[in-house]
Amino acid sequence: MSTTPAPVIAPVAPEESRDGAAPLRADRTSLRPWQVATLVALLGFALFPAYWMVSTALDPRASTRGGSLLPSGLTPRHFSFVLGDGGFGAFLLNSALVAVVTVLISSAVALLAAVAVARFRFPLRRQILVMILVAQMVPLEALVIPLFLQARTLHMLNSLLGLAVVYLAFSLPFAVWQLRGFVAAVPVEVEEAAYVDGCGWGQMFLRVLLPLVAPGLVATSVFSFITAWNEFIFALTFLQDDDKYTVAVGLQKFFGEHTADWGPIMAASTLITVPVVVFFLLVQRNLVSGLAAGAVKG
Amino acid sequence: MGSHRMRTLRPWLLLAPTLALMAVLLAWPLGRVVWLSLQNYGLRELNRGTTNFVGFDNYVSVLTQPYLWTIVLPNTIGFAVVTVVGTVALGTLVALFLATLPVAWRYLASSAVMVAWAVPAITGTYVWVFLFDAADGLVTHALGGLGVIETGSVNWFLERWSFFGIAALNVVHHGFPFVAVTVLAGLLTVPTELYEAAVIDGAGAWRRFWSVTVPVLKPIFAVVTILSTIWDFKVFAQIFLMPGGSGTNREVFNLGVWSYIQSFAQGRYGLGAAIAVLLTLLLLGITVVYLRTLFVEEDL
Repeated sequence: MSTTPAPVIAPVAPEESRDGAAPLRADRTSLRPWQVATLVALLGFALFPAYWMVSTALDPRASTRGGSLLPSGLTPRHFSFVLGDGGFGAFLLNSALVAVVTVLISSAVALLAAVAVARFRFPLRRQILVMILVAQMVPLEALVIPLFLQARTLHMLNSLLGLAVVYLAFSLPFAVWQLRGFVAAVPVEVEEAAYVDGCGWGQMFLRVLLPLVAPGLVATSVFSFITAWNEFIFALTFLQDDDKYTVAVGLQKFFGEHTADWGPIMAASTLITVPVVVFFLLVQRNLVSGLAAGAVKG
Repeated sequence: MGSHRMRTLRPWLLLAPTLALMAVLLAWPLGRVVWLSLQNYGLRELNRGTTNFVGFDNYVSVLTQPYLWTIVLPNTIGFAVVTVVGTVALGTLVALFLATLPVAWRYLASSAVMVAWAVPAITGTYVWVFLFDAADGLVTHALGGLGVIETGSVNWFLERWSFFGIAALNVVHHGFPFVAVTVLAGLLTVPTELYEAAVIDGAGAWRRFWSVTVPVLKPIFAVVTILSTIWDFKVFAQIFLMPGGSGTNREVFNLGVWSYIQSFAQGRYGLGAAIAVLLTLLLLGITVVYLRTLFVEEDL
């Protein structure tokens, strides 16, 4: 038995277990010269595109900056342009709305399913787990055609709510799989103690299990939020009026109309990217860990 | 509480909403895409609500096109192989490096590396498009400054190899942090005694990597490789958003983009569905390998 083996997030491994067994354990706190050099190269590679995005967004002469590594000045002009004329204020709100609806439904529904597969032994359990895994591999290109035709028949194209429901197709299996790991990490004894104290199953779930799974629920929700926020192919296909665009389609259309106007394009990209990076770094501690820990033990 | 009946029923009650949503949003559409792939289904059928079955004609048409074999499949499979090897190799090297750092530095560096993962594919792609832009890009100015090319004289997006070179850089840059943090987490669980024993036996760093790290972390390498493979086969926005990727340059389509263009730009939903089914089957094959790896290491 072990924690989540599959993608991305899993319960936090205690910090001491991570640091105790470093194979090439560094006892020193200062860096050797080769480490400094490698670190600079690594961070340069990892962060350069993000730096280029933000610095271009702030550069008053963005499109002609050419090869100059520093911006020629700092201006909020591109940001006010994309938020005003560019319509990105509305796009950001639309994306937030879609992502929040997706997260609320998928987290609630997935938590129940996660409890079922983590806590109960029942026939077909293994088959359901396999199905939830396989569902995560389905390419969106295969789903977009039938779901587009269906939404068209039901006159649900161009609806943000319809889009949020469609996003459950990929956020739900992911959320079930992740939450299953978090639920399994809660010791069964805690539940048994609640029963001894006279709780029914419902009370035990609300008062004992839910608070203990809450950190996992937050991490999973943040990830579902990010996927919905970033989603491109369904948004492109479903949304037709520009007041309905989410950030991904908004950016693509904006790029089409303002090709080579790099200041505003990078300003819009920055507005889309910053919330995601902040969220991502907030839950990153929950991100590392479980996968590796589980896999090595097996 | 707990009558026997309730205990057998409860997991199914808890699962019911998930199963219902997955049936409506996954199982039924997948059935419908197969059903569409057996028809010559275009705007006429769509508007009239009629069917137009043609058997396996769409599959025959797709599979007998030289375009599939010389352009689309190499763009899909070749690209996936290159990016997966690149992602796993770079991610592993970065993990090995991070493991040598003092704890505080390691934490700082892995957070910074994760920014590359966090940047959305859509916005990240536009940054790479800007960096390699023929007229205004950093790369053309840098190479022009060095005298390698004349600034603004080369459009890398027109040529298939350079187009996919840029796309590969984008995908590897976006994917290596996942491999790095996952392998790093694994490295930190390898018992130090194994390395100490290897050192006593006179093994160098290279030898220790291949005879201690790799065997112990084999399950982790298997999982990150297979997940990267699945992700890199499905790459869509990173191709579609590059100049020419949304329809004007047929040289650069992969299976996903081809399916999308056939369906939504040409209105040939049947043909697009057949391509989508082929992509799904390809991914299903990889998934089976994934599941077998998973079941070996974990009792679900």
